Amino acid sequence: MNMKRDRFLGAVLLLPALAFIALLVGAPFLMALVLAVTTSSAGSLDVTFVGLQNFRDVFGSPVFRTALRNTLVFTLASQAAVILLGNVLAVALKKAFRGRSFVRFLILMPWAAPIALSTLGWLWIFDSTFSAINWILKVSGYFGPGEWYYWLGDTALGMIAVVTVHVWRMLPFTTVIILAGLTSIPEEVHEAADIDGAGFFSKLFHVTIPMMLPILFVAVLFGTVFTFTDMSVVYLLTRGGPYNSTHVLASLAFQEGVLGGDVGRGAAIALFLLPLLVVMAVLMLRRSRRAEVL
Amino acid sequence: MDDAKTKGRISRRDLLKAAGVGVLAAGIGPAVVIPGRARAANKTLKIVQWSHFVPSYDKWFDPWAKSWGASRGVDVVVDHVSIGDVVPRATAEVAAQAGHDVHMFLGLASAFEEHVIDLSDAVRTIEKKHGPQLGLAKRSTYNPFTRKQFALSDMWVADPGDYLKSVWTEIGMPGGPSTWEDLVKAAPEIKKKHPEMQIPIGIGLSQELDSNMAARGMLWCFGGSIQDKEGNVVLNSPETLHALEYAKRLFSAGMTRAVLSWTPASNNQALNARETAYILNSISAYRSAQDNKLPVADDIFFTPALKGPTGIQLASEHVMSGYVVWKFSKNQDLAKEFLVALVDASRDSALASKLYNLPSFYGAAADPGVPAAKRPKAGSDWVAGQCKSDPFGSKPADKLTVLAAADQWSTNIGYPGFANPAEGEIFDTFVVTDMFAKAATGALSPKEALAEADTRAKQIFNKWRKKGFVGGGSKDR
Repeated sequence: MNMKRDRFLGAVLLLPALAFIALLVGAPFLMALVLAVTTSSAGSLDVTFVGLQNFRDVFGSPVFRTALRNTLVFTLASQAAVILLGNVLAVALKKAFRGRSFVRFLILMPWAAPIALSTLGWLWIFDSTFSAINWILKVSGYFGPGEWYYWLGDTALGMIAVVTVHVWRMLPFTTVIILAGLTSIPEEVHEAADIDGAGFFSKLFHVTIPMMLPILFVAVLFGTVFTFTDMSVVYLLTRGGPYNSTHVLASLAFQEGVLGGDVGRGAAIALFLLPLLVVMAVLMLRRSRRAEVL
Repeated sequence: MDDAKTKGRISRRDLLKAAGVGVLAAGIGPAVVIPGRARAANKTLKIVQWSHFVPSYDKWFDPWAKSWGASRGVDVVVDHVSIGDVVPRATAEVAAQAGHDVHMFLGLASAFEEHVIDLSDAVRTIEKKHGPQLGLAKRSTYNPFTRKQFALSDMWVADPGDYLKSVWTEIGMPGGPSTWEDLVKAAPEIKKKHPEMQIPIGIGLSQELDSNMAARGMLWCFGGSIQDKEGNVVLNSPETLHALEYAKRLFSAGMTRAVLSWTPASNNQALNARETAYILNSISAYRSAQDNKLPVADDIFFTPALKGPTGIQLASEHVMSGYVVWKFSKNQDLAKEFLVALVDASRDSALASKLYNLPSFYGAAADPGVPAAKRPKAGSDWVAGQCKSDPFGSKPADKLTVLAAADQWSTNIGYPGFANPAEGEIFDTFVVTDMFAKAATGALSPKEALAEADTRAKQIFNKWRKKGFVGGGSKDR
């Protein structure tokens, strides 16, 4: 009787979450699948079927191919930097020192600040005419006559700027996750390694990293999915420019689908993210199940 | 329990009762208790309006709209969005089939044609009162292929050249440039005289509004265009190629990669900081310099559109209102009445925007009492009079004279044809701007840049032709 009641209660408690996912994730996803094979335009739910035409069109577009490459570069470069810097910061923040709480607070700031607001600051730092970095380099004599970095007006510098801001934004979260992982390693394990004569790198590669792997994996997966689907930094910083060369798939889908009004094409671009995200989701589920078993 | 203690305390039951009564009162109260108010609440006209570049305009518009509504027992709600949010907001509201009654577009509303009502009767009412609208306003709001007046424009903004007179005087051109070729000639001279100036010629080639307008101006003056009068795609032409080759020369003579990343505010900021000596913009850069009491304000002067080698002298309108009324609106007649009243207030609108807005119906700016047949001329004279003696403190007072005849060198997006959804999509996805940017910087050769843009333009036109909103096609080049 109790078991039956528990099951019923469980279902009731799960219902809001399931409804939320079905309405806000499932339905739009199904709609995107439908729209991608239609000629739907801004706000219109016209379902004139065009098969895979939208996919063929976007794949033939050099702007799309650039955006696809940029998405991979953006994700891999920012994740590599975030994991590396996150580890360094976490190790530093684990040590006790004066003002550690304040430093931890400062490091969390980029995560807490609204992205639109903080990117405005970065927009001025990287502004092609009034860049704060450039003016410092000029005043310090680093720039010769006529030398200038056009951060957002150059494809390579534009991508560097985008990755930099995204790393700045993601770093606090990753650091906190890694810090939690580091703290959870029992002190006795380190002491045992010390007694065995292990140095810093020996401990790092043979004790710390192996014990941190599950949590690192979660941080990487979460960061990758988040970065892969994110358009805010690109859109606020470069708007995909110069000449559509810094778009990622999400920002290009927004430009074509929402600003340009070609919803079918926008949906087709966005759906190119799907296969990789599915792989990511499966990996995350497996990892979380394994953690549950352990 | 002590009565004294319980007195004044509210039990859970009392609280629930009170809440229930409150909810009920909130739900039916206004209808029962304040019948007048209930009627007003049923008649609410909701308007989405951009946040004007000249803040004094919004300070005029919002109370004006409220007071217009109050005189009819209607509650008018005005919501402002940034220029970049105008289209996304429209997309969201159409998808939801809910939101505001009236939506103001800047540039083209044509992509939303199937979702808006025909405003022909509102335009006829206005034309009866004030005379015809400007050709560029009609070409931006009417689709001859579907014969639908999909939007109504009350104002447009000219896009003159803004230049620093002191700098151009030093190089022997005190009146500023008059042809596109002048820019290429002047750039090295400006560099010589002012090596500290980062971008002698500040024409944007970025994914934003001002660059979109500038690229079209350049294209048209060299004889090219995206479409012809019938809606055939004619971008692939020797004239376009010529324009792209010119852009390459201009970029290497007097521009830097900074212009590839500009926002709509960047050229204003660069001119006001004396980091550039020439921009293509409305008078907003100048007005912001005036408002901020920057010394540079007195040095900013204006030129009309530049002439191309073909002799064509055209600039795109800088901004153009296109008010639409959604099909889902339940206040369509009221919305039309509002739009007519807004056009009637064109004179106040122009002054509130400090002459940034020019009337789309010049007759609406005429003195009251002038007969309909004479109103367009009278309104045009009034506008010219304001420009020739700027009431907002220009030094000299006739600094804005160039705007008096701006309608003669300004045209619409879609020139030489009408605006249509395909032109709108090409505009919103920066196909032409990117073509110029790629050719100018050498990212692609002019021929390659043209081929890429032409392919995309044809895809977009064909898509809209299939939907039945765009004509032409038989003479695509």
